[in-house]
Amino acid sequence: MGTLIGVEGIEVAYGDIPVVRGVSIEVREGEAVAVIGPNGAGKTTLFKAIAGMLKPRKGRIVYHGLPIDGLRLYDIVKKGIVYVPAERELFPQMTVLENLELGAFTNYKSRGERLKFVLGLFPRLEERRRQLAGTLSGGEQQMLAIGRGLMARPKLLLLDEPSTGLAPLFVKEMYHQLSRLKEEGLTILLAEQQVPHALAFSERAYVLENGEIRLFGKSKDLLGVPEIQRTYLGVT
Amino acid sequence: MIAILVDGIVQGLQLSLMAVGITLIYGLGGVLNLAHGQFAVVGGIATALFVDKGLSPLVASSLGVLTAGVFGLVVDRTLLLPAYRSAGEERLLLGLLITLGLSFVVNGYLDFQYPNIALTLHLATPSVNVAGITVRTASAVTSLMAFLAFLLLFVFLKGTLLGKSVRSIIQNEVGAGLCGINPGRTRTLIVALSAMMAGLAGIAQGLFSSLGTEMGNELTTFALIVAVVGGVRSVNGTLVAGVLLGIVNAFASYYVGAYLTLIILLGTAVFTILLRPAGLFAYRT
Repeated sequence: MGTLIGVEGIEVAYGDIPVVRGVSIEVREGEAVAVIGPNGAGKTTLFKAIAGMLKPRKGRIVYHGLPIDGLRLYDIVKKGIVYVPAERELFPQMTVLENLELGAFTNYKSRGERLKFVLGLFPRLEERRRQLAGTLSGGEQQMLAIGRGLMARPKLLLLDEPSTGLAPLFVKEMYHQLSRLKEEGLTILLAEQQVPHALAFSERAYVLENGEIRLFGKSKDLLGVPEIQRTYLGVT
Repeated sequence: MIAILVDGIVQGLQLSLMAVGITLIYGLGGVLNLAHGQFAVVGGIATALFVDKGLSPLVASSLGVLTAGVFGLVVDRTLLLPAYRSAGEERLLLGLLITLGLSFVVNGYLDFQYPNIALTLHLATPSVNVAGITVRTASAVTSLMAFLAFLLLFVFLKGTLLGKSVRSIIQNEVGAGLCGINPGRTRTLIVALSAMMAGLAGIAQGLFSSLGTEMGNELTTFALIVAVVGGVRSVNGTLVAGVLLGIVNAFASYYVGAYLTLIILLGTAVFTILLRPAGLFAYRT
């Protein structure tokens, strides 16, 4: 498996305050990689830098062997990297169907086939297709956000805190569908505070603290690290 | 009574044609365009100049609308760029200053260059009969123009991918970017379209009475009131608010005179902001 995306020593700052400092991560094609860490560790900032919403001050981001740092959000989408932020950023006054259609903006000709795929993955969205996105429950909105991202036929899906604020049943269902996507070959980079889910789902993981990588390795190995068990898994 | 009502509705449609541009440009670009009346005047005066050159009113009007559109496009790609590069409050303030400055420049230039030009379009038949009511032909033509313009706008916004992308940017610019939509390009198109609709409103003014080079600020004021009452991000609201305020305007002008009418309209806007800060028909989120 070749490297799909390589983040090489990036520093990202808000004003003068660096939030991500010298972070390097690598995601290979077809892999699911998790970034875990406490609130404020810099996970979202890292994802926003990859997605083109923030420009790194130092370092490079290389995708398919070409640098992409400095490209705008909408150009990054065209390259096949789709970001699903924790805030979801849906269009509240548009129907589920319209939200999904707009997800296929860069890929409009195959929207019919993509729609079939997404609605097959999340049948609940099929039931709600004529409903306004703003009236959906939190879990349904999360499905719609992921579904809208999938409409673009991404090569790399960046999922930021997908389980935040969701009922446990929804979280389970969502991870079930994400596993299906992984089996179909989609590369996924995931940021999560719910560490057990993230480590169970991913093959490898990075632990981000105070804007720096503290630990990394195979997810199943990290599950056995005492520091991880104490801090994130509630083992005393 | 019915004549005043019809007059009010028609004036309201003309106001909506202006105000919808303010609504769209604000919704998409975060710029409150204080030179929107000048877009109408540029369209109208260009039409007058084309008529002077011997073109038929229909051809001249089409070229006038096109001129307003090109003017809007140039303004968007040049003067407004510094505003678009900033965000939030800074963008709003920069946008206000730039468009206010533009309105002075356009007023000054047109006054200096064309001091005696005004657009007055005479129609062959002064009145027509519509469903048993005698209506001024100017009213009928304006209504038809506004109706067609709004119909096209709604078909564009609801039925086309580009139109849906416009609505998506108004609702959530970040969300639109996440879908791969380039807000800048869409914004330029919308500013040009808005300027064309303003140009159409300017020509309608020439049909009713006369459009002079000095009328830009007055048109902007009326359009702003309508946009605020309708909810500055809601196209449907702008259309309804325009018609409602047009009716208020017509009755108030008839009973209390033009000076008090403006105060009544401004009072309506203030009252609306107090009761419903986001406008009568604004999206509830």
